[in-house]
Amino acid sequence: MKTRLPVFVAFISGALMIIAFFGRGTVVDAVSEEALTWQTIVGGFALLLGAVSIVRVHWQKISTRHTDRYYSVGLLICFAVMAGSGVLFGIGGGTLFDHLFQRIQAPMMSTMFSVLAFFIASAAYRAFRARSVSSAILLLAAIVVMLGRIPMGQYVYHGLPAWADWIMTVPSMAVQRGILIGAALGAASMSLRIMLGIERTYLGRG
Amino acid sequence: MSEERSGQQVLRAPFWQRLQSVDRRILYSLIFASVIIPVLWPLHLPTLVTPESRAFFNAVDSLPSGSVVLFPFDFWPSTLPETEPMAIAALRHCFRKNLRVVGLSNVGMGGPSIADRLLDSIGAEFHKSYGADYVNLGYKANYSAVMLGMGSRIADIFPADHRGTRLEDIPLMRQVPNYDSVKFVLIISDNAMTDYWVALVNARYGLPMVAGVTAIMAPKMLSYMHSRQLMGLLGGMKGAAEYEQLIGRPDKASRGMDAQSLIHFLIIVFIVLGNAGYFMSRRHRTRLGQV
Amino acid sequence: MSGFSLSKTKARRRVVGTRGCAPLHSAYQNGDLGERTKGSFLVRASKAFQVSRSRRGLLFRASLGIWSALLTRQLLDSPALTAADQYAGVFRVERVNALVLSVIFAAAVLWYIAQARRGAKFYIRPIPGLSAVDEAVGRATEMGRPVVFIPGTGDLDEIQTIAGLSILGRVARVTARYATPLRVPVLYPLPMAAAQEMVREAYLDEGVEHLDPETVQYVAGESFSYSARVGGIMLRERPAAAIYMGQFTAESLLIAEVGQSTGAIQIAGTASPDQLPFFIAACDYTLIGEELYAASAYLSGDPKMLGSLKGQDLMKILIAVVVVAGTITVSMGWSPEWLASIFEAK
Repeated sequence: MKTRLPVFVAFISGALMIIAFFGRGTVVDAVSEEALTWQTIVGGFALLLGAVSIVRVHWQKISTRHTDRYYSVGLLICFAVMAGSGVLFGIGGGTLFDHLFQRIQAPMMSTMFSVLAFFIASAAYRAFRARSVSSAILLLAAIVVMLGRIPMGQYVYHGLPAWADWIMTVPSMAVQRGILIGAALGAASMSLRIMLGIERTYLGRG
Repeated sequence: MSEERSGQQVLRAPFWQRLQSVDRRILYSLIFASVIIPVLWPLHLPTLVTPESRAFFNAVDSLPSGSVVLFPFDFWPSTLPETEPMAIAALRHCFRKNLRVVGLSNVGMGGPSIADRLLDSIGAEFHKSYGADYVNLGYKANYSAVMLGMGSRIADIFPADHRGTRLEDIPLMRQVPNYDSVKFVLIISDNAMTDYWVALVNARYGLPMVAGVTAIMAPKMLSYMHSRQLMGLLGGMKGAAEYEQLIGRPDKASRGMDAQSLIHFLIIVFIVLGNAGYFMSRRHRTRLGQV
Repeated sequence: MSGFSLSKTKARRRVVGTRGCAPLHSAYQNGDLGERTKGSFLVRASKAFQVSRSRRGLLFRASLGIWSALLTRQLLDSPALTAADQYAGVFRVERVNALVLSVIFAAAVLWYIAQARRGAKFYIRPIPGLSAVDEAVGRATEMGRPVVFIPGTGDLDEIQTIAGLSILGRVARVTARYATPLRVPVLYPLPMAAAQEMVREAYLDEGVEHLDPETVQYVAGESFSYSARVGGIMLRERPAAAIYMGQFTAESLLIAEVGQSTGAIQIAGTASPDQLPFFIAACDYTLIGEELYAASAYLSGDPKMLGSLKGQDLMKILIAVVVVAGTITVSMGWSPEWLASIFEAK
């Protein structure tokens, strides 16, 4: 039962979604839309699981006097302030929650995204070595595209922007499409295996 | 190569080898400088407009005055430097052409408040009024239900707008019951929502759409453009700068392109130096018979 | 092993089934069915629908009844059903091309699975990234440092996340066997619950009863906060191996670069084409696209799963032939509307 029920549910859910995709005006349409709504509700309850997990792990660090317990104290305080302000005063525009989000959380998120610029530079410096013919071609293509995408490129050579566009729209897109097709087939194959009960690793069983 | 330091012989790697392993901190400092310098001393570099950005502009420009445009603000606050200039330029274009904008967001964290802020600020520039010229429907969970449900009846998905006003009390929304009254979809997104809009809305309802996405996503979205599922595409800050140029209002993105140009150039210099070090050390080792 | 088979003990229990199922099941138990029929889907399905008279069975049927009643009530109020009345015709004719393609695909996969059941052996090319997983965990064991496993930053409704979790199960088994610490930071709560269950089962299978609560952790709910936390874990705990398998967005390079700076051996796998370049630049091994989905089949070596990979490859060959044929015909100037409409997605 522990294995059969989830496999059965997976099969029925998958079959319903497939029928809903090809069908119209059937009760299956309504069932699939309800299932999507239920998924949202389950996701909401699952968020509680996550919150409990965070509090439990960090409280344990504080109670066992872990070296990093002060960070855990900071986390729990921030957690309480954000959750409490949202529950007590709402999350709409102009509320404390909104101010904290727009003035602290959002800039921090942008900052983390901006760190990518530094990491891209160090990754490119380390990885773009012309060790073989294929890596040399990759390197040249990267330089052409990087130069072609900035105004300086047209001063280096007037045809660079057109070359950069060609690389992005022809070979790069062809490769992207190939990967997407392969990945889509892989996903479809895995979905079929899950529906038929052949793939059960997601249940924790081989 | 060796040198004396505190009475001990210290082996120092040859110059070409050190060139291949420059300390990250030096690289990061140079990147930081290349961002700060153009902010303090703008370079005003011109921007070449790509065909995808021009197609985006033309698609919006060809809409008749008064048309209703669905405007999903499907981006997180983390990508504001890339997506906000696109959204601002697109809103300016829409309001200048007297298009009516129905905003919404499929990103719960920050999406609706960003939409509110941009719609109100750009709307005020063009003396547009909330409720008659633009509306912010806000956020609802379950993007597929939202995208598909609005095809039947928008009020079933959004009974009220982001401010809590019932849709039947909003003049604009009384004229827009579902997708039949929407002429165009203008997506600004930094995640897979663009794929879902194309797969669910364009495929099923045939609504023409354009998308502004981050630079990382642009190569993938090009395939949608070439299969004519998207009519135009803006890619990253460069796309935003091109669009600003096309609407005649250079703003944040155009200023940011100076820094982006310097950083690209600097990365190319790093790559060239790294490869020079690699080839020279290889040649050096070959001469010594080590290869 | 089929997902619907019964153990002998359960089969001997008295069952009460529906009208159609009971005679079929009795015939099976009495040995009146031929060999071919025994394994048929209908027989297996009939067994799956039958429940015993035990308290558990009654509870199951009662909950099923309540669920059905609630669902019916919801459906009657559902706007989708109301809107559906307006439509004429049950089948979306405009999607028949997708249906035909799906049927061909499913047939190919099922054919090769059937071949595998009959004992056919299939060759799968070596995938260096997957072969390196054991090597990476071994390295971590020797160095006495943990393994960090990231099952992507997608939710459980993403197939890439499920693919990542299936690899986690195998990695957890190896780490439990060699008592190597394992860290699995997860972005969303549902994958966290699935990962906890998976790791717990893997540890129990290896005879390890106690699972460190820090093994599987829910971290934030937003990708950049998540990458900050993961970066912190890597810089403090200095893992010897870092495995990234699943769906990633912009945080991929943040995580991979921090991992690279700690000297960990890094193995990544994703079907998100926009993140692949970052993993290829920063990681030692990268699984590209469908290699991620093939991982669970590859690592298990189960012939049925390998058979599904062959079916998928057959489909890929078919698509490649159509692409080449289409390129030739269009280049020669022959591109009629009806041919293009066959491949239109609606």
